[in-house]
Amino acid sequence: MDSPWDELTLAFSRTSMFPFFDIAHYLVSVMALKRQPGAAAVARKNPFSSWFTAMLHCFGGGILSCVLLAEPPLRFLANNTNILLASSIWYITFFCPCDLVSQGYSFLPVQLLAAGMKEVTRTWKIVGGVKHANSYYKNSWIVMIAIGWARGAGGSIITNFEQLVKGGWKPEADEWLKMSYPAKVTLLGSIIFTFQHTKYLAVSRHNLMFLYTMFLVVTKITMMITETATVLFAPLEDTLGRMLFGWQQQFSSCEKKSETKSSFNGTGSSTSKPIAVASDTVKKKHTKKTE
Amino acid sequence: MELLSALSLGELALSFSRVPLFPVFDLSYFIVSILYLKYEPGAVELSRRHPMASWLCAMLHCFGSYILADLLLGEPLIDYFSNNSSVLLASAVWYLIFFCPLDLFYKCVCFLPVKLIFVAMKEVVRVRKIAVGIHHAHHHYHHGWFVMIATGWVKGSGVALMSNFEQLLRGVWKPETNEILHMSFPTKASLYGAILFTLQQTRWLPVSKASLIFIFTMFMVSCKVFLTATHSHSSPFDVLEGYICPVLFGTSWGGDHHHDNHGGSHGGGGPGSPHSALPAKSKEELSEGSRKKKTKKAD
Repeated sequence: MDSPWDELTLAFSRTSMFPFFDIAHYLVSVMALKRQPGAAAVARKNPFSSWFTAMLHCFGGGILSCVLLAEPPLRFLANNTNILLASSIWYITFFCPCDLVSQGYSFLPVQLLAAGMKEVTRTWKIVGGVKHANSYYKNSWIVMIAIGWARGAGGSIITNFEQLVKGGWKPEADEWLKMSYPAKVTLLGSIIFTFQHTKYLAVSRHNLMFLYTMFLVVTKITMMITETATVLFAPLEDTLGRMLFGWQQQFSSCEKKSETKSSFNGTGSSTSKPIAVASDTVKKKHTKKTE
Repeated sequence: MELLSALSLGELALSFSRVPLFPVFDLSYFIVSILYLKYEPGAVELSRRHPMASWLCAMLHCFGSYILADLLLGEPLIDYFSNNSSVLLASAVWYLIFFCPLDLFYKCVCFLPVKLIFVAMKEVVRVRKIAVGIHHAHHHYHHGWFVMIATGWVKGSGVALMSNFEQLLRGVWKPETNEILHMSFPTKASLYGAILFTLQQTRWLPVSKASLIFIFTMFMVSCKVFLTATHSHSSPFDVLEGYICPVLFGTSWGGDHHHDNHGGSHGGGGPGSPHSALPAKSKEELSEGSRKKKTKKAD
């Protein structure tokens, strides 16, 4: 009855990530790196450092999951073809004559395509992480969630840490503590796939992969087109936060104390509108960094 | 008669060393650890604004020792998180301490007699962890004394040794404050305990492990309960160190101590300190306060 649907999702879940989707992922990651202030100058002055940072941006999630599972963190270097691919993408992004790649990338449809394809790799990574963790620990769903999350969204942690070591980043910045949109959505996906893997969720995996990927791609593209910084989860989070953590009472106490703080909580009340707008733009920038 | 008493003491120690830790003792360990997290400046605000970061911090406070020991021995960092029940228990404690209506749970736990019981039970867990850590390291490296000492120390002192990283999670990055620079009493005690247990493991100390666990637990419990009850931040080792350090490390120790006591004009190098005694004194008080805070963390 629904066999065409099944066939479609099955075929989709068997798609190989290797050449095209991986290229899109590397392209988006390296372009995010290049958008950071000073990255181009670093690339001219110290190419090796820039290359290493680019590799961290591309393979960060895998590194984090290796660290957590006590596997060699440099394992990603063993995959020669992927390293060569990522290196060549890094090279053409930073050193292409006339900056052709950057200019091509600034064309919106190209960006949309690349970002959508990158989101597809995220699903694959989460599923891979959950499976991998399950091969170590049979019954521990916390580990599975953590590894899936690390694979999918751990790159930002690794790159933040790298910047911290370089001294170019201050942890007082709120972005470290505030979970970005990709981190949240990856956490959600990781939980879903873990439940699927432990059979709590009676959906077949390829269906779930298809649906989740569609969800990711659609939200990402809508966010990029409308340039809103994600407030998809905001109502849900708000109610959950009020129920679990009693944000309501804290809001009132905070507003008594100072208004800036309340705006950071995302209340967006009319009294603190300019600050809320500013924080919104910060969030936008962060989301644009994509992971 | 004497034989009988010795036998019963040995049996007592043996049965004491076999008491299962899981629900009750672990629970008190989590409660005290997360209580110390709540004492940290800014922790409550953090839990309101970023519950996830606060939860991770709480997990580090509860399982930091395991994570650090796993890191040192090359085992999966996330290993301990496979104990679903422990993690859930710790999460529940975290939730109750930070978000209980009217702060009821926190107030109950902070009531001094109750807190003393929990602190005592926490020390039981600490000693047991040191013993287990040394056994574990012995399993990996049969003659690696230093490995055993390091593992036992890390297991005993827990999150204190990774306090910089834990602060980073809370958005505070102060590399200049460091547990190794200002060792608190539990950290020192864990180090000495790790040395004792290592000596026992390598058969240099002719005591059975059970009785060593018993004796050291009694020592730790009495010290820690006394310190907590009197709100004192000194450590019982201070007297001993005062004698030994000048002998071992020469006069520089005494000199440092001198500076510390009589105004930090040399150490601090602040602009105001040479002019009058008052700023120097205030600075001294300040440093005293920070040290106190450090000790209060007293994991």
